Amino acid sequence: MDSRLNDSPGRAAPSVKLSRDTAGARWMDRPDGHAKVTGQLAYLTDRSIESMLHGKVLRSRHPHAKLVHVDIAAAVSMPGVHAVLTAEDVPGLNGYGIVTQDIPVFCTDRVRHVGDVIAAIAAETPEQAAAAAEAIHVDYEPLPVVDDPLHALETDAPQLHEMGNLLHETRVCHGDINEAFAQCAAIVEEVYTTPRQLHLYMETEGGLFIPEESGRLTVYSATQHGYKDRMQLARILAMPESSIRVVSSPIGGSFGGKDELNVQPYGALLALRTGRPVRLHNSRRESMRASIKRHPMRIRMRTGADAQGMLIAHHTEIIADTGAYATLGREVLQFATEHATGPYRIANVKTEGKSVFTNNGIAGEFRGFGGNQVIFALEGQMDRLAERLGMDAWELRRRNLREADDPGPLDQIIVPTDGASDVWASAMRSTMMARRGRVTQGAKPWLVRGVGAAIVMHGGGLGYGIPDPAGGRLALSADGKIEAAFGFEEFGQGVLSVLQMLVCDRLQCSAADVRIVIGDTDAVPHTGSATASRATAMAWQAMQKLVPPFASAIVERAAQLLGCEREELFTSEGGVWRRASPLSAELPQLALTYKQLAESSPARIIEQAAFDFPVTPTVDPVFGAHFLYTYASVAAEVEVDLLTGRVQVLQTDHYVAAGPVVNPMGFLGQIEGGSVMALGFALTEDVVMEEGRYARGQLDTYMIPTIRDIPAAVNVEAIEHLPAGDPFGPRGVGEIGTVGLAPAIASAIRAACGTWVNRLPVRPEQLIRPYHTFLEGRLHD
Amino acid sequence: MIETSYRLGCMLNGEVVSRQVPPVRRLLDLLREDMGLTGTKPGCDVGRCGACMVLVDGKPMNACLLMAYQCEGRSIETIESIAGPSGEGLHPIQQALVAEGGLQCGYCTPGMVVSLKALCDEVPQPTRAQIEEALSGNLCRCTGYEGIIRGALRVSAFYQQPHPDPTP
Repeated sequence: MDSRLNDSPGRAAPSVKLSRDTAGARWMDRPDGHAKVTGQLAYLTDRSIESMLHGKVLRSRHPHAKLVHVDIAAAVSMPGVHAVLTAEDVPGLNGYGIVTQDIPVFCTDRVRHVGDVIAAIAAETPEQAAAAAEAIHVDYEPLPVVDDPLHALETDAPQLHEMGNLLHETRVCHGDINEAFAQCAAIVEEVYTTPRQLHLYMETEGGLFIPEESGRLTVYSATQHGYKDRMQLARILAMPESSIRVVSSPIGGSFGGKDELNVQPYGALLALRTGRPVRLHNSRRESMRASIKRHPMRIRMRTGADAQGMLIAHHTEIIADTGAYATLGREVLQFATEHATGPYRIANVKTEGKSVFTNNGIAGEFRGFGGNQVIFALEGQMDRLAERLGMDAWELRRRNLREADDPGPLDQIIVPTDGASDVWASAMRSTMMARRGRVTQGAKPWLVRGVGAAIVMHGGGLGYGIPDPAGGRLALSADGKIEAAFGFEEFGQGVLSVLQMLVCDRLQCSAADVRIVIGDTDAVPHTGSATASRATAMAWQAMQKLVPPFASAIVERAAQLLGCEREELFTSEGGVWRRASPLSAELPQLALTYKQLAESSPARIIEQAAFDFPVTPTVDPVFGAHFLYTYASVAAEVEVDLLTGRVQVLQTDHYVAAGPVVNPMGFLGQIEGGSVMALGFALTEDVVMEEGRYARGQLDTYMIPTIRDIPAAVNVEAIEHLPAGDPFGPRGVGEIGTVGLAPAIASAIRAACGTWVNRLPVRPEQLIRPYHTFLEGRLHD
Repeated sequence: MIETSYRLGCMLNGEVVSRQVPPVRRLLDLLREDMGLTGTKPGCDVGRCGACMVLVDGKPMNACLLMAYQCEGRSIETIESIAGPSGEGLHPIQQALVAEGGLQCGYCTPGMVVSLKALCDEVPQPTRAQIEEALSGNLCRCTGYEGIIRGALRVSAFYQQPHPDPTP
């Protein structure tokens, strides 16, 4: 007997609506807030230095061509030009890529997308550099453009790489879907397509590159993992890693988009060649042309259930357009494959994915990492199946939800939590949910409203078998500050707040006692990347390991200096405090400041931790599979204008089960901001390409949500509960907010006007009804 | 490149500026490259994102769409001039954004502050509709605008109380 069917639908885990009021003292001003609101914060692209040159990159004119000849002679002798570099000027590896180094720094014989780089110039002024780029003569022999991943897989398609056009293939098989489909009471089959979304961080790529007198190179340029950039640059420059310093924070937004190298190879090569500092800063147009994007996916799903709505069979076929080079195309497809069954128990599953090379730019890492696309499809299937069975769609989900101890989607062991059922039940508290499944009339006959909802299960960390180191360092510095050093980056998500709050909370000290050090390979330990919703989780786990021995060493030294027992002392605001005797009426007193402690001995108190992101401890590992998951549900109400096809999202309610909330302001901001990014994914954003060329190259044609496009009300509730004894603490929330809203909107549109959405962004013309429909006062036939 | 002897005369953050400026110089580049005022950010170069918003005679304008010569005789205020009533500390708008989580990466924030300054100088307690109108030319990719709206709705609380974090 399935115990879940006996649960009353109203059961809900305790959750808290995130706000300044509910957070109380934990609602903390950002350490970088003052500098950001005053414009005083120097981003890496704000940096300049006397004697610097300006860099410029020449990119391919064609999406696919043979590179016959590159003649730089005229450019070299242009006024103000100090260097013109091509492939032969790369001292080390002429390639980069986080996993596979197949992106040429400079192309040699072939170009594969319009962002491919042919040459780089350093000149006295940006105008001179641009003029020199114009003067480079490039002979191309255009080749047929591969702009459709389905065509790319045909045998007669031009092959973009030696390995062919198939970057990666996935295949997951549980049970027997053919047999299972034969037993289904209802089967739905649909093809879903999702857009090529642009990260559109407000600060475009750029930085300053300084050849130091010592022979070292300093790189001031954003990335989500400074040490990884250093390693990649060392390979390209044929320099020891220790000769390169990468300063990589603060960052004006990234969302995954700045994790891969962008301008760094060119800035570094030009600076070393000219012996002068070089600045590069992409224009928005160049950024849109060169940057990685979210993978457009074409997802066919066939899903079947029995008459009670229990899922029996689920077949998914994913075709991902990964563009010209690998970057993280494999890993994104792997993630999409893992997440294609969501939080549901399905006995018979087949998931097949193909990541395919084309000449359509480059697709790579983007917040959500392949989950956004498959969850849009999967949740669409749940709605269609429920309708086919005449069931409530939320009830159908409940019947199929995983239980805490169920294995993960790839049959791997995962950390048990009630996250799936908790977010399901919490969503029932949304006042909107009472209106689901029916049309509500707006203020005019042609304005119709509907409610939809979706559930998301999202893995954190890089996954089994992928190196995913973590760690951190706490030290009492010479000036008496408690220094917390981590290799994470601050791109807005608030990792500075998280680190400061954790240190202050654990040591009971004040923010003034603490110095956070991040974003500089000369100053921080290896703690892995600020990606994959991992930084807060890893910072919390690092503190679990670091704080007890660190606090103990501080107290130990203080006890020696004061000549008292350790038990009498504790760390707090300003330094080490002495407890009052239980018998006296005295209050605890500050016994030694941190500064006094630091000055008392040249021996520094320092604690380091090094560990790995937790993965499934299993004898039967599944590559890439996740161990820690975050769960979320989202309900949305939309109003569709049937005369214009415009969709306005009126309200969204989010329920997120991610363990304890460390930084309420940051948590809230991640879900609010992530969901508006999902709003754009659902309704307006698509980097349209035609024959391998960008049809939208600026912010006047690529439309992200403005302040007028957001819902009138956004509510975020956190479910902090974890099973007793769970040792892992907070799960990440950096990505999950971007996943569930698109399917909830699609579901709400169906409820409002009867149109099934299977393609994002939603096409307004799909929703328009003839005006005469309303003259007769009728909404539907 | 066209050389010129054009001399620009204007007010910048309350001080008289008089300097040689090429006719092709944008206000944005004049501020960032020539004056070192990097609080004004380049974001799109086509007047869509609002990261380069400055006040020209009190009105918010995109510095990427203004040529420097167009500022002749005008008064320009950049984010660097916006501060608390005493000229130090934070302006109530800035306090409110910090207090309500109205910024994340912070790159759009100077432009947001400038646009809100123009609004709040006219309407000290703006409504949500007025805030939406005033910020409709400022894009933010991090916050989803929620924290910015919370902050803008609370600005007046910071005008009334000099304390940095008043409770309503």
